[in-house]
Amino acid sequence: MKYILPKQDLNALLERWSAEYAVLAPQKSGAYAEFLPYTPRSELCLEEPHNTRYPPKALFFPQSEAILQYKRTTGQLESISAVAQKRVIFGIRPCDAKAVSLLDTVFAEGDNQDPFWQARRAETLLIGLGCHAPCATCFCTSAESGPFHTDGLDALLTDLGEIYLVELLSERAASLFDALAPASSILQENAQAVQSAAECALPKAFELDGLKGKLDRVFDQDIWAQLAQSCLGCGICTFLCPTCFCFDLVDEAQRDTRVRNWDTCMFRVYSLEASAHNPRPTRKERTRQRLMHKYSYWWEHADKLGCTGCGRCVRYCPVGLDIRAMIRTAGAYENEVLHAN
Amino acid sequence: MPINTSTRNPYQPTPMRVLRAYYESTDRSLKTLELSFENHADRQAFFRKFNPGQFCQLSVFGKGESPLGVASAAWEGDFVRFTIQRMGSVTKALHELKPGDTLGMRGPLGNGFPLSEWKGKNLVIIGGGCAFSTLYALTKHLQYPQNRPDYAQLVVIYGARSSGLCMYKQDIQSWYQREDMEVHQAIDVPEESWDHHVGYVPDVVRQIAPSPDNAVAIVCGPPIMTKFTLPALVSLGFPAEAIFTSLEKRMKCGLGKCGRCNIGSKYICKDGPVFSLAELNALPADI
Repeated sequence: MKYILPKQDLNALLERWSAEYAVLAPQKSGAYAEFLPYTPRSELCLEEPHNTRYPPKALFFPQSEAILQYKRTTGQLESISAVAQKRVIFGIRPCDAKAVSLLDTVFAEGDNQDPFWQARRAETLLIGLGCHAPCATCFCTSAESGPFHTDGLDALLTDLGEIYLVELLSERAASLFDALAPASSILQENAQAVQSAAECALPKAFELDGLKGKLDRVFDQDIWAQLAQSCLGCGICTFLCPTCFCFDLVDEAQRDTRVRNWDTCMFRVYSLEASAHNPRPTRKERTRQRLMHKYSYWWEHADKLGCTGCGRCVRYCPVGLDIRAMIRTAGAYENEVLHAN
Repeated sequence: MPINTSTRNPYQPTPMRVLRAYYESTDRSLKTLELSFENHADRQAFFRKFNPGQFCQLSVFGKGESPLGVASAAWEGDFVRFTIQRMGSVTKALHELKPGDTLGMRGPLGNGFPLSEWKGKNLVIIGGGCAFSTLYALTKHLQYPQNRPDYAQLVVIYGARSSGLCMYKQDIQSWYQREDMEVHQAIDVPEESWDHHVGYVPDVVRQIAPSPDNAVAIVCGPPIMTKFTLPALVSLGFPAEAIFTSLEKRMKCGLGKCGRCNIGSKYICKDGPVFSLAELNALPADI
């Protein structure tokens, strides 16, 4: 079902939701937009062409989270129960919603499901805002996503100037929009045109077809050293990545708590073993792991690409490394060098 | 999306108590802990899942967790044995534990040895250093009277740098009297009153030259030993499908979530730690 939401009615709608849900929406925080609790005084950042800097995965998988409490003196354990409040995340971009559904394959499927992830996931509705004006760092259409893709979303909004067109995608989101007027077929066609125009505006960043095989075949080539040459190893690409999920478990002895913290394969200590052996001793191996994990190993783990083309790693890399160019170079290396020999 | 919010916390260890603690090596770098369960239900859950070759995460609260291979077989009793090399802050804290002290344990984790696939075969068990601990669990499992008839010949080759570093001394000494197995021990350099092999494990394997006929070889040791032992077995005629090894990696969750032990399509903690050489050959060289 598709509905009309006049932009002037948005605040009233969010306020109505606030009675039942904790509503989170993108708002200015310092120089960047961030998902923060909605209040009637909130100034929403919905007109900005790009997503928040801090990835919304943090709303399900916080950067630092207590997972266990213990009493060192008695050895007594206290489990931290995974409880979550009912939430609506409003204004999430399709690339980030897709990333959340990708992370379900890590935290919510198979054996040993993660109760902290699942509790939040079960109680949260994702209301997406499509990207009618994608920015230069976006490459979702090359990465199995798109500016109006609906993976992981309960509803998707298309900005049509004075109004949003709301596309309802799940049963559980129906009550959120039940007071809205249905959209006419002309408006639906307008939305279709906006969506197609946005998709067409995104150039192809790389050819995904056959890419996995190409990367697998250059695994032991020197190309990775070249790609990693200017990398500082700061790890910001992985911390801001909406699909990176590596974590560390650390005992914070002062407060008798075991904590799960985001971690990054771009750090030397990440894979350093007690014997001093390090399977990924230089930035060459670490850069290779980051790219191969997303563009090759994810296919084998979950039959999905581990990147949604959100562009954060491109936008925030302090030395301007561009994953699109790195992937193109590695793929082309296979054609040019391996086939030439 | 199917969601079960009552999922138990997989990061929560089960409470354990130190039953016995003793040094294995004369230099006190290796210590064995035998742990008993505080709760009957935890003990039952553990032994329902346990298979030699699996590992556990041992917790010293306030220090952290460390992944360690289980060094006992289920039939030995209601305890779990670990032999721990003192390396960092967690293993140092584990070494300081005394009988009666409490600690946490998560596990058993990982796949363990594919014992049912090996039925009817000759087994060649090759270990070096403290990595022999999981092979000790395997050997103990095979020695159990009800398990032993399932397998044909059993050969154990175990090397250590010196006699002082040889683990499970008394028990292994008693294996020489057994008629159902063959034991070879080796140390790297000659010592007075050492009447077993002298030399590195790959050389000892070549010298003993176990037959590859209807056999599988299981290799656990430091990376340098494994690196040279695998080709020695290949040259003896063992196919890659009949050579098994157990990998170690830095691990945190042990559940295939924290990402740390990822090699290509596999997570060592969840898909391993036991792999055949054929499986390893198919993985990227990221070890």
